[in-house]
Amino acid sequence: MTAPALDPLVEFIRSTRLSEVFRNEVAWLWPLCESLHFLGLSLLIGTAGFFDLRLLGFMQGVPLRSAKRFVPWAMVGFAVNLLTGLIFFISQPQQYATNLAMWLKVLFLLVAGINAMLFETSFSDRLMALEPDADMPLSAKVVAAVSLISWFAVLYFGRMLPYLDPNPQSGV
Amino acid sequence: MQFFIWLQDTPFAHWVASDPSLLAYPTILTLHTVGMAIVVGTCVVMDLRLLGIAGDVPLSALGRAPRLVWTGFFINAATGLALFTTDAEHKAVQTVFFVKLSLIFLALVVYGRLRTLVFRTASPQLSPISGEVRALAAVSLLLWTGATVAGRLMAYLL
Repeated sequence: MTAPALDPLVEFIRSTRLSEVFRNEVAWLWPLCESLHFLGLSLLIGTAGFFDLRLLGFMQGVPLRSAKRFVPWAMVGFAVNLLTGLIFFISQPQQYATNLAMWLKVLFLLVAGINAMLFETSFSDRLMALEPDADMPLSAKVVAAVSLISWFAVLYFGRMLPYLDPNPQSGV
Repeated sequence: MQFFIWLQDTPFAHWVASDPSLLAYPTILTLHTVGMAIVVGTCVVMDLRLLGIAGDVPLSALGRAPRLVWTGFFINAATGLALFTTDAEHKAVQTVFFVKLSLIFLALVVYGRLRTLVFRTASPQLSPISGEVRALAAVSLLLWTGATVAGRLMAYLL
């Protein structure tokens, strides 16, 4: 988390034409991307959360396969937020590269991603075959809890970015 | 106006605005975003379902959605009031803030109407979903989008 190691990267990104355009030539870009980032997070948490709640054992009687139809919408929300997040990062890399909250946010993004992949590769087929009224096994509940906790942690560290910065010179 | 000036000068408002603790302004602001995700996320799931997305999810699955919506709403009413006190004199006359409040009010009216239309029957089995319900679901998505954008623009528009 030491700042100097990342300085050359930050300087390089800031020096690119794209960064300059984002930063100085499109005045409404930042509020637009923030608005989209908030809409994307609501869509992601709502739809992924619905599936997670089903995996936790709520809404018994709803086939898991049906509940999963909302998951592509979570991916739409994620794509919107990845794109807008990259625009923030390219515009003002110094606000993020050395910010502890940013790295914790990335950590929980990885946890959420690995957890989802683990679900797909190891649990999905077996759980999809369950009867709609069956009790969810513990493994499903753990996956769902990890997912919910990590998405809210992503939101938490994202929103706390300006306040958890150990290097306040970065000026978030 | 005197009231808002007084409100902004209460010890509570000063604590929220200026206390160095992460539990003051930063946590209250973050909880406001958590509440938004719960309210808007839940309404969006309901609206998408009513528009025909995930059509094989039984509508009864959304029977407990109001608990989430009202929990999120309560969090945001409380955190919103706390945030309001820190800048009451200005927020009381900020146009985009009233736009946001109006859009939230309208979105909740639409939400209430949808609950009545779709979920008041013992076992909601609406197929096909009526044109009125679809239209209201689309309006709901637009209103929550507008409320979210207006909330974000409060930091930019005076």
